[in-house]
Amino acid sequence: MTTLERLMAILVTHYKLDPTRIARDTPLEHLGIDSLGMVELLFFIEDEFNLQLPSDAPLLPTVADAVRYIDALQAQQPAPSPAGTAAAPPPSRST
Amino acid sequence: MRRVAVTGIGVVSPLGNDAAALFANASAGRSAVRRMDAPWCRRLTCPLGASADFRAGEHFEPAKLRMLDRVSQFALVAARQAIGDARIGSGDLDPQRTGVFIGTSMGGSVSTDEGYRTLYEEQSDRIKPFTILTGMMHAPAAWISIEYAVTGPNLTYSTACSSSTVAIGEAWLRLRSGDLDVAIAGGAEAPLSFGAMKAWEALHTLASEDPADASASCKPFAANRSGMVLGEGAAIVLLEDWERARARGATIYGELTGYGVSADIGHITRPSVDGQAAAMRAALHSAGCAPEAIGAINAHGTGTPINDAVETAAIKRVFGARAHRIPISATKAIHGHLLGASGALELVLCLLSMRHGVLLPTMHLQQPAADCDLDYVANRARHDVFVDSMMSSSFAFGGTHAVLVARAAPTAPAAAFAAAPGALPPPIEEQQFE
Repeated sequence: MTTLERLMAILVTHYKLDPTRIARDTPLEHLGIDSLGMVELLFFIEDEFNLQLPSDAPLLPTVADAVRYIDALQAQQPAPSPAGTAAAPPPSRST
Repeated sequence: MRRVAVTGIGVVSPLGNDAAALFANASAGRSAVRRMDAPWCRRLTCPLGASADFRAGEHFEPAKLRMLDRVSQFALVAARQAIGDARIGSGDLDPQRTGVFIGTSMGGSVSTDEGYRTLYEEQSDRIKPFTILTGMMHAPAAWISIEYAVTGPNLTYSTACSSSTVAIGEAWLRLRSGDLDVAIAGGAEAPLSFGAMKAWEALHTLASEDPADASASCKPFAANRSGMVLGEGAAIVLLEDWERARARGATIYGELTGYGVSADIGHITRPSVDGQAAAMRAALHSAGCAPEAIGAINAHGTGTPINDAVETAAIKRVFGARAHRIPISATKAIHGHLLGASGALELVLCLLSMRHGVLLPTMHLQQPAADCDLDYVANRARHDVFVDSMMSSSFAFGGTHAVLVARAAPTAPAAAFAAAPGALPPPIEEQQFE
């Protein structure tokens, strides 16, 4: 599955959204995910992609922005090795 | 000073999730106390509790539900009931002249407990993102204000077992003074989690299980009483300026006439006769009535050895020789101790008792204790007894004792049930009173 498909699955499963309403350029706010909802979405993303997100909140206006953010994190945080060392997270923005 | 009417009631409780079910079960003396069977209950010494039959998914969408601890779920559902019961529409509330006053002793303890379990038991470094929002003490009040777009005072009171009595009393003060026209007031509690129950167990205040009947384990004022049983739920009343309520033709359950609160400074848990009596006297004073005006009492009556003896002595101190002639109900025997929500639930029971002319029984009282020698309406309700005013007492760890006085509505339906003595009243929604 692509990152977009996995993100869509999160949105459909946890937010009971109609997948036909979701496109790459859909603003997350239009899906009912406000700043507080974003906090929860990041939690689900951490779970789904086995990522460790920085503690401050990223700016992710659209679905495509979220996909890019996840992909960037995945590139910097490959699956945990036995040594368990992780790369530094990408820059993020506080609200 | 303005008069304050109760025009709406909402309930989620071990005895039912509306006023009619609550009152029918309380009148019949049906106990909701059970031996609980969750896996973690095996680690409790005595896994007794009075849980509400509550399905959150019937009331909230999943995304909303993730933001609500069980205590907020209870509070919101009870508030919706109370406002619906009062037949107040969305345009009927002046947002700035309406307040929300909620009491809770433990707040979102289920969420907090779950967060700690995740951290310490699962050794996870991550907990749910809304743990702060669900666990914070004033989440129930906040959600009610948000749902009804109420912008007046939004206040939470946490004074242990008197929390909701204090919340209702403080709301009453603001309506009485004219600062507000309407208040959504009451309490909510959801203490049936492993961590909360273990903490209560450690205090050695919980009842041991009755070997013959677990549901009879809480025995207020009895010689063989051994402690209290925790319960969960919420009770919310809609308080309204009397003239406003009359003008809009509201059904009035009763009038809130007095509120007294005292600090029992002798000990952090052990109540004193002086402290409890002071709260009762303060309530009588604010109601402007003599002790003779009180026709019945809903006692704090936890079933702990200390409270029940001290409360009996305090009632004697306040009411003198007449104490022996005042019917006293301790309904925690069957709905459990809802901690911060208890006072609100018991005020509701007082209002319904006066309305329906039914004095509620104190169940599981086969042999009163030697130091509990008043009339506790033992084991059987008394029907067709209409009293004018009742007192509802809540005494708390920490010493914040609070007492409310309520008066029957002028049009209390004395004749409504006289035709069928002994019968349970019909559900509230089927009754026509005013």
